[in-house]
Amino acid sequence: MFSPDPKRALGYNERPFVSGDTAMTNSPSTDDKATETTDFGFQRVAKDEKADLVRGVFDSVASQYDLMNDLMSGGIHRLWKRFTIELSAVRPGQTVLDLAGGTGDLTRQFSRLVGRDGQVILGDINAAMLQVGRDRLADTGTVGNVSVMQCDAQYLPFADNSIDCITIAFGLRNVTDKALALRSMERVLRPGGRLLVLEFSKPTSPLLERAYDLYSFRILPMMGKLVANDEDSYRYLAESIRKHPDQDTLLGMLEEAGFVDCEYHNMTGGIVALHKGIKA
Amino acid sequence: MEARHDPAIVAGILAALETALDRAMALAPDAQQDLQELAGTVLAIEFTQPAAECYVAIGSDGALSLSQHCELPVATRVRGQLQDFIRLASSDDPAATLINSDLEVVGNTAPLLAVQAIVANLDPDWEAPLVDALGDVAGHQVAQGLRGFFKWGRGAAESLRRQLSEFILEEGRLSPPKAELDHFFKEIDALGLKVDRLQSRIKKFAKDLEAGKS
Repeated sequence: MFSPDPKRALGYNERPFVSGDTAMTNSPSTDDKATETTDFGFQRVAKDEKADLVRGVFDSVASQYDLMNDLMSGGIHRLWKRFTIELSAVRPGQTVLDLAGGTGDLTRQFSRLVGRDGQVILGDINAAMLQVGRDRLADTGTVGNVSVMQCDAQYLPFADNSIDCITIAFGLRNVTDKALALRSMERVLRPGGRLLVLEFSKPTSPLLERAYDLYSFRILPMMGKLVANDEDSYRYLAESIRKHPDQDTLLGMLEEAGFVDCEYHNMTGGIVALHKGIKA
Repeated sequence: MEARHDPAIVAGILAALETALDRAMALAPDAQQDLQELAGTVLAIEFTQPAAECYVAIGSDGALSLSQHCELPVATRVRGQLQDFIRLASSDDPAATLINSDLEVVGNTAPLLAVQAIVANLDPDWEAPLVDALGDVAGHQVAQGLRGFFKWGRGAAESLRRQLSEFILEEGRLSPPKAELDHFFKEIDALGLKVDRLQSRIKKFAKDLEAGKS
């Protein structure tokens, strides 16, 4: 429903050399191994095309990303992120990777929490989003313990056991091979480190689901057209949310990737869920 | 509040409270300085009714942050009903209130009482933002007006409470006075005692009668 996250997510899908990767075939979601196709909203596209398509979406919405997020969620995305920060339990001196970090709103909070001795890495595959994020961090004086890195969630360029906490907020659903990305995150986390996946999910009430569908497929694209002059990107956003694994499926994917003590918290009636996994 | 309420709703409530506290603290530098001495302290507040839990952490700059999840060591955990917490927060003698209330305290009570005292004695300088917004003269005049209004409001509320109480007790005789009630309850106690004694005597007579027969 909210574009801000898709931006971040976009970055991941954008990776131009990802599409033909055989490693992607282990995705438990809707990727079709035989034909090498994957979801792009409700469409099936070749894996190597998805990254470019997603990049197109995010490049299109980038300039209005934060404004649209606030408009579409009524500002609630800030509360979802606030709870994510709380559940991260990040302490001074730790190293945090904010994947699909886009405009850097989580990075700003983490920078304050880790203090001078810690480090926060704002990672995104989308260069345009990172540019916006980097500028915003500098404008808010968030410097010194923050670095910006263009990276692919499926192939994280970090040493094994080197990160204390990874967050990926509204980004995972845009990753071409989610299972591969989760395994990559598990690899770079330190034992005891935690992964937090904040993502749109499945509403728990049928009534809410109907209202949410109406909002997503009717109102959201209209808002996108009026505010950002981009109806298609916001339609993709709604479609990509529907294709994303539901709460229990994603929980299973975390466990399959090697995480332990996995759990999730539904927020706003399950419209969004926060999954947590610990590296054993 | 974990799993008991929607985390987004709780986060919204806590964020609003935190913002209000931040703003009040910014206008009360003395309180912030006092809180700095407690930097690093975490208090856990657990409401039994309604069931909810929140944490109050004091930052190195004296800022209070509220959260529904915290993994830092908790200095004091207080458990009780919402009304008990309200009574404690507004109490002039928090130590006595804490002892006499139904609140359950685990850990060190000193930080809790210190924070309660700081918050209860919070005296924000409301004139500062008004002066910033309206200028020295107009801001001061508006602040004076508001002070007068609130002072009148407090006096009027107190007067109304007193007069209402007098009307209910004396004019309308809608409720018995406290002394009358006390006397009534004492008489009930005395009657209860007499009945108990009578019952014991009857039992004793019955027992004697039984012994005489045999």
